[in-house]
Formats: sequence, structure tokens, C-alpha cells
Amino acid sequence: MSLLKKLTTPVAAAALAAAGIMAPLAPASAAGILTVPEADWTGGMVTCHIIQSILKDNLGYKFKLVTIPGGPAVFEGIRSGDFDFSCETWPSYNPIKSNYIKEWGGDESIVKLGDAGIIGVSNYYVPRYLVEGPDAKAPDLKTFQDLSKYNDLFKTLETGGKGRILGCPVAAWACDDQPRLDALGVDFVAVELGSETAHWAEMQAAFKRGEPFVAYAWEPHWIHAALDLVPLTLPAYDEAKWPATGWAEDVTFNMGNPEMLTKHADAAKVIANARLTNNQQASMILAIDVDGKDIDDVVDDWLAKNEAIWKAWLN
Amino acid sequence: MTTQSIFRRYQTTLTFGGSDYSLMATILIGFVLSLIVWGQTRDQFPFPTQISDRFYLAEGINQAESWLEIHIKGYTRAVSAAVGTVLEALEEFLWFKPWPIVILAITLPALAYGGLRLALFTLCGSMFWGFMQMWDPAMSTLALMVVSVAISVVLGIALGVASAQSDRFEAILRPVLDTMQTMPAFVYLIPAIFFFGASAPSAAMAVIIYAVPPAVRLTNLGIRQVPASTIEAARAFGSTRWQMLFKVQLPQAMPSIMLGVNQTIMMALGLAVLAVFIGAGGLGEEVWKAIRKLKVGWSLEAGLCIVFMAIIFDRVTLAMSKPASSGMAMANKTRTFRLLPQAWVHSKPAIWVEDGVELVWNSVAAAARLLVDAIALPVGAFLGVVHKGTAENLIEWMRNHRTFVTGATIILAVYLWDAWVSPIGSFPRAWHFTLRGPVDDAVDWLTVSPTFIGITKGIRAFIYLYVLNPLDKFLVGLPWFYVMAMMFLIVWRSAGLAFAVTTVAALTFTALSGLWAITMYTMASTIAAVVVCIMIGLPLGVAAAYNRPLDAILRPILDTMQTMPTFVYLIPALMFFGGNPVTAIIATVIYAVPPMIRMTTLGLRQLPPEINEVANAFGSTGLQSLIKVKLPMASPSIILGVNQAVVMALAMQVITPLVGGLGLGKEVFHAMNLANTGKGLVAGIGIVLLAIVLDRLTQAWTRNQRQALGL
Repeated sequence: MSLLKKLTTPVAAAALAAAGIMAPLAPASAAGILTVPEADWTGGMVTCHIIQSILKDNLGYKFKLVTIPGGPAVFEGIRSGDFDFSCETWPSYNPIKSNYIKEWGGDESIVKLGDAGIIGVSNYYVPRYLVEGPDAKAPDLKTFQDLSKYNDLFKTLETGGKGRILGCPVAAWACDDQPRLDALGVDFVAVELGSETAHWAEMQAAFKRGEPFVAYAWEPHWIHAALDLVPLTLPAYDEAKWPATGWAEDVTFNMGNPEMLTKHADAAKVIANARLTNNQQASMILAIDVDGKDIDDVVDDWLAKNEAIWKAWLN
Repeated sequence: MTTQSIFRRYQTTLTFGGSDYSLMATILIGFVLSLIVWGQTRDQFPFPTQISDRFYLAEGINQAESWLEIHIKGYTRAVSAAVGTVLEALEEFLWFKPWPIVILAITLPALAYGGLRLALFTLCGSMFWGFMQMWDPAMSTLALMVVSVAISVVLGIALGVASAQSDRFEAILRPVLDTMQTMPAFVYLIPAIFFFGASAPSAAMAVIIYAVPPAVRLTNLGIRQVPASTIEAARAFGSTRWQMLFKVQLPQAMPSIMLGVNQTIMMALGLAVLAVFIGAGGLGEEVWKAIRKLKVGWSLEAGLCIVFMAIIFDRVTLAMSKPASSGMAMANKTRTFRLLPQAWVHSKPAIWVEDGVELVWNSVAAAARLLVDAIALPVGAFLGVVHKGTAENLIEWMRNHRTFVTGATIILAVYLWDAWVSPIGSFPRAWHFTLRGPVDDAVDWLTVSPTFIGITKGIRAFIYLYVLNPLDKFLVGLPWFYVMAMMFLIVWRSAGLAFAVTTVAALTFTALSGLWAITMYTMASTIAAVVVCIMIGLPLGVAAAYNRPLDAILRPILDTMQTMPTFVYLIPALMFFGGNPVTAIIATVIYAVPPMIRMTTLGLRQLPPEINEVANAFGSTGLQSLIKVKLPMASPSIILGVNQAVVMALAMQVITPLVGGLGLGKEVFHAMNLANTGKGLVAGIGIVLLAIVLDRLTQAWTRNQRQALGL
């Protein structure tokens, strides 16, 4: 698919550029083709498609989208100049940000263009059927520390008779699940499944069977549309007491190659201004994942109805 | 040599009634001894961190990478730009030329070389890409495969020729090839982005690294196997070195080289899915998108597209590498069926159907003959005005290459039709169909089925309690120096002193890298997976050897298991077994069990038929003759199956962290998430070393067994 775009965009871009030269009233812009990694989760796709649509319609940019798993590949691609920018990076899930981005002590090979607006919240969740309703097996499970009362519900063979908690799926995310369990006096074993996919698959299968489970997850995320989950209460985030607390909010951001600031300053400015709230994104995710609408239609629809919001980003 | 004298003593004392139990006794004594050592010293001797902390290889690699980034990016980018140009041109061709041309270009060679059955399979398989609405991604993957296989083959043959000329070069190249094949691709996929870009050329590089070794090995082997007498004769006629190579050695080695090409294609397709990790698109992208959303049906559709691509290329290249056998069919007394299974040759209705097929076949052949003449004669006449000799040669050539000329004409006709008469457009929408619904329903149904989940829980508990956990506790708990000493002894006895020293060096490397416990766990889980492979593969292989229908059913299933991208069955495995180290073993078994089954069946089938008579003469029952005579006789082949399973199980190490697997593969994954090349490479080298040690060890067992049986 990338190639079709690859082939058609230069022609279109050339035509546009020519039109730009000929029309004296057109805004002076370094419009060109921008290569952007397509996020592999719906929320990230929405955030990026909104920005792309605005840049396309108002500044004459064209886009080449590349499907690539999020994480290090995206960072490396931006650093090497293969990608121009990417949207909605979650700080928690990208420890390597500290290699590249100034704000986290990196070498400035990647710049943070601006916040994306989406605020992520992490927590441990249990299925609602476990804690509510007449058949609830753990009606008193409210806080994280309450888990101790229900060891037998969560124990497995592999965890040697201790309760099992599905921790962060990727070690590099540094969630400190086991230290948190130890610090808060819950004698459980945190297991790490190694990939997000495994994590969601296991949760979904357990949910379908109505089995008890407790798992790490975050919001906004499609898993909450698929499964009815309830968060456990954790002590509020406190850097001094970490990991005996909950998580800090994840302030997501958009990042790009440093050349964005010089070569495509107009685009970089729009990206820096753009903010999408959790609620705005959630309504679009619902339309795409639940109602099965096409992402471009949903994004166009939103842009048409919310002109006041995004017009402000242009200035 | 005290140890050897001990071995010898047991050899003499433990031989009862003609049967040699010395090996079993040695293993038993070794095991009991290890158990005692384990009980006494359990977990007391981990590899000292004071030593491993002083080992800075990972940091060194990262520094080297930074240096390379500054100094060679220009060159690597030039290479990828060149590859990219070719790749894009091909991709453009495949995307924008009418789809029937692509199908014809694949099906016609299948018809010419493999006959009607293969052609029909090829036709259905390539149409399947369109049916599944995956024509465009399939064409991207096809372009990537064609370009990277072409480069791999050229490189592979060149290196193979070079290593056939020089023993020293071969000796240097061999460990390099081993490393290329067993080094997990995840180690170099992320760094490849900086050097080669986040697009298809990068993926081509990764594919080439992985796919070149078989081409090199089989070219080398083919040339070395050319009989010395042939070489002598050619030399006597005064051939120069180049003449010798191109006129004698390469043509003689052709079947072997073609087998290498076949293997290269299969390896390349094995990596097609991973290409998505560097943004190369294609069918891998479909699989990835599907599994991100836990859509089993969708990922299975994309997976089946890859399976069909792999089987088509496998069968067509195999058919091409075999000498033509047409014409022989007529000479044979029994009729050769073109379409229906050969086993039905005595059934009347089948013969009627075949008569019809034969008629069509012959008419098509006659039409092709006419067509070729219709083209050749006017062209010849026209050319004859200029030069008579050339014209005659051309007509002659076209008649000799009738299939090619006809095929090219048909493809050209379709092309002209599309360009001038009426555009064919893209694959008809009306032909799309989908497997997603039923597959997803089936998975959902199994996920909640209490009986099925009861069974999976039982399997999981069995593997964990009786296979994985004991092995893990045992190997990780033993003192490191004891494990090294035992490995030294085992390898020394099996494969000689030189390799035993290498083995200890390899183990020392992992220990110094601070990966001792993880390496031991990796070994435990690999052995566990292989044990399960043997438990499943051996009985199935035996059953298939005795029962032809079962064999016929198993064959396509095994083909699919081997070529299906592993990602596709990870999700169902997770749904059924949950995410844990046992699921990792189950996924490994799915991938690694086919060669175990195949080699067992092959080993039993290859036994001379007289064995049955001998066994009967001694009055042994079927089971007795199987256990006492046939299985021991087939053991070299079976151990070779074990060898394959070991290597494949280690290759799965880097995939299994996705379903909760632990060990060195997970280290590689962890390093990838941190973009830490040094750490990833060190863990990757650990896997490579383990693979080389276990591979050579099991190969040595095969060889020893062969010698013991006097084969």
C-alpha cells in the first residue's frame, strides 16, 4: 500500500508545489511529502490522522504512511530521518526516549514537538463480574492491598500456590510490579507475558471463561470497550514512595526529527499546538472499533464538526 | 585417560547376552551422579558476578555501533537505495500489471515442470491471495521475496564456489554461516533501521542474511561432489579454471544448487512476516495488524497466503530441479494419472475421468504446437530474407522451447488485451470470500469450552510439573563448573576433544556475559520442547510409516505447520493455554515437531524389506520387531530428526517471549525494547553458541549411530 501512495504523492505534490508558485496568494510553505509511521493502535492512529488531515488540507502536505510496530523502531526511524514525525508517544512505554529527547536527557537526535493532549492512566484491573453482582467471588476486593484476602482465587501452578498478577507485559516499561507487591505487603507473584498481544489475549480468554484475574492495563485503551473492567484503588502517585504507590499520569506527546523545526516549521507549529482530549479521542475510537466505520470518514466528520477547535491550532 | 578406562570397564562388564547396555549405563550413572551433586550443592554455586561484571562486551558493541553510525551510514544507504530502486520497480510492475499475468507467470512454469496437479494447486494457491482480498500485500511480499532471493542466490553461489575452491575459506565461512542462520533477526532489525532505512530494502538485507547460508552450503557441496574422474577428464582436455567451473563443475552441481535455491526461498519466506518490524509492509503487515487486535481469523488468512506462497515456490523449484520425466510415462506399463491420485489407477470411473483429462491435455499440447508454428514460421520467413541460418536456428529454438514460447505468447496476449482492448482492472470484488467468521467462532467456542480447556490445563500441568520445572530446577541449580565439566565429557565422547574445548569456551562466554542462569534455563526449555517433540513425533512418525493414508493426511498438515508464520498460532495458543512458559513450549513444539515426524517415517520406510522377513523368521511380533529391530536400525534418521527439532526449538526462542517464554530470547526482546544493540547481540550470540553446540552434538550422535550400525 505504501508504494501506491509513494508513486502518486510525488506527482500530486509536484502539481501542488507548482500551483503554490503560480498562485501568489497561497501561503508560503515548505510543503512536501512527510513520512509518518502509522500507529498500531487505534488511538494513536486517530491522533495522527487528525494532524495529517489538517496539514494536508491547510498547508498542502502529502503523507506516506508506514506500518511499523510502535516503540524502538519508530524512534530509530525518526532519528535516522526515515520518518519525519510520529504521534502520541506514551512516555511510560518508551524508556528509550531518554536516549534521544532532550527533556529526558537524550542527545537531541529527536525533538519533542508538543503534547498530544491524551493523558494516560495506568492501574490494575479486575473483571466486574468478580467484584459486583450476586455471583461475585470477591465482593470485598476494592483496593490493591485487598488482594491478599483472595490469594486462593488467583493462585496458579506456575506461581507456586501464590496469587498471580499480570504485570506490565514488557520489562523495559519498568512498572515495578513485584516491588510494588512487596512494598504493599501483597504476597503475590507478578508475571510478565512479554508482549502486549499476549497480555490482552490472556485477559480476553480469561474474561470469556469468567475466570478471576487481576491485570495491569491503562486508559484510554480498546480493552475497556471489549471487557468490563474495574480498577483497584492504589495509593496516589508519590515519587518519594514509589513503587508503593500508583502511577503518575502519562502525558503523551508528539515527536519528530529535528529537521521538522527548520524545514517544515509551519507543520511543526501545528503539531505543537494540536491537542486532542481523551473524550474527543474516545468518541472516535468507538466509531471506528465498535461501529466499524472507516478511520478517514470518522476523522473528516470530526474535523467538520469541530472547526473552532482545530482552526485555533493553525495560528 | 582415567575417564576413558572407566567407560571401557563398564563396556565390558555391562554387556549381557549380546546386547550392549554400556551407553545406557553411562547415562544412568551420569544422571544419578548429577542428581547427587544437585542435591548437595543446589543453587550454591551461581557463576560469580565479580567475574562477569568485568566483562564489557555489550558496551563495546554499542560503542562500535556509534562509530559505525558516523562512518558507514553513507555506504549502507547507497546499497539500500540501489536495492530499493529495483524493489520498487518490481513492486510497481506486480501492482499495476493485470493480475492474471502474475498468476499465469507462476502457474505456467508449474504446468511445464510439475504437470497438471501442481499447476492446479499453483493456480488455486495464487488465486487465494485475491480471494482473501490480500492481492496487494501479497504482491509486496512477492517483490521482496524475488529481489532478496535473487541477491541471495547470486551471493550464495559465488560464496559457495569460492568455498569449494579453498578448504581454508570453507573453514572460515562455516561458523559465519551458522551464525547468520541462528542469530535471531530481532538482534539486527532495529539497528538495521538506522543503517538501511525503515522500509523494504532493510527487510531485504535481513532476509538475505538469513537466507544465504543454504545456497552457499549446497553449492559448495554440489561442486565438491563432482567426481574426481570427471575433473581429471576435463583437465586432460586442457580446460582452464574458468572453463572447468562453468562447463563442468557448475552444470554437474546443478541439482544440488537448485536444492539450495529451494531452501533459500523457504528461509526467505520464513522471515517475510518479520519484515513488518522494519516497516516493509506486505503480508507480514496484515498478520501484525491482525494479531494486534487479537483477530485470529484475519491473521490466519494472511498466514495461509504465506503458506501457499511457500508451498508453491517449494514445489515448483523442486520440480524444476528434477530432471524431466515426461515421455517415460508412456513407456511404463501402468498408466500415469495426470489429475487424480495415482492410487485410484485401477478404478474404472477414475480411468474415464483421466481419459477426458488426457484428451484435453493432448489437444492443448497440439494447440500449443500449432501456435508455436504459427508464430515461428512467419517470423522465420521474415527473418529468412535477411539471414537464412539465423531464421532456421530461431524456428528450431522456438519449437524446442514450445512451453516457454506458448506461455510468453499467452502472457503477452493478456497484457495487450488489458492495454488495448479492455482493462482487466484489479482482482474482482465478487470473488472475495472470507474465513474470518468461522475461524473466530471456532476459536471463541474452544476458548470457553470446559472440556477443551480442561484438556489444555491437563497438558499444561503435565508439561510444567513433569518436564519443564524439573529440568529448569535441575540445570539452573547445578554448580556452573560441574555443568561445564559434564558438557565437556559428553561432547568429548561424542564429537571429539576439539569441539569439547569449543563447547566449554562457548559456555564460558555466556557465563562471562552474566547470562549463565538464563542460558541454563534456555537449555532446559529447549530440551523440554524437544522431549515433548519426541513424545508426539515418534509415535506419529511410526504410525505414518505403517499407515499410508495417515501419512497422506499428515503431509499437508506438516507443510502448513512449518510454513505458517508462527505469529498466527500464538494468539490461539494464548487463548487456550494462557501466557506462561509452558505455552512457549507448546508453540515451540508446533513449529519443531514436523521434522521429528518426517524423519521417523523416513527412517522406517528406508529400511530394506528383508528386515521384516528376518524378524518374522525369529518369530517376533510386529511390536517386538519394531522396538528391537526397526527403531534401532532407523535411529540415525530419528536422531537427525531430533537434531532438526533442537535447532528449530532454539530458533523459536526469540518468538516465544511474545507468549510468556523466558530465557535468552527474552533477553533479546528486552534489549530490543531498549534499543540496546550490544545487550541484544550478546544474548543473540548466546543463542547462536547454544545452537551450534547442540547441533554438532546431535549430529555427532547420528554419525556415531550410523557407524555403530555399520551404515
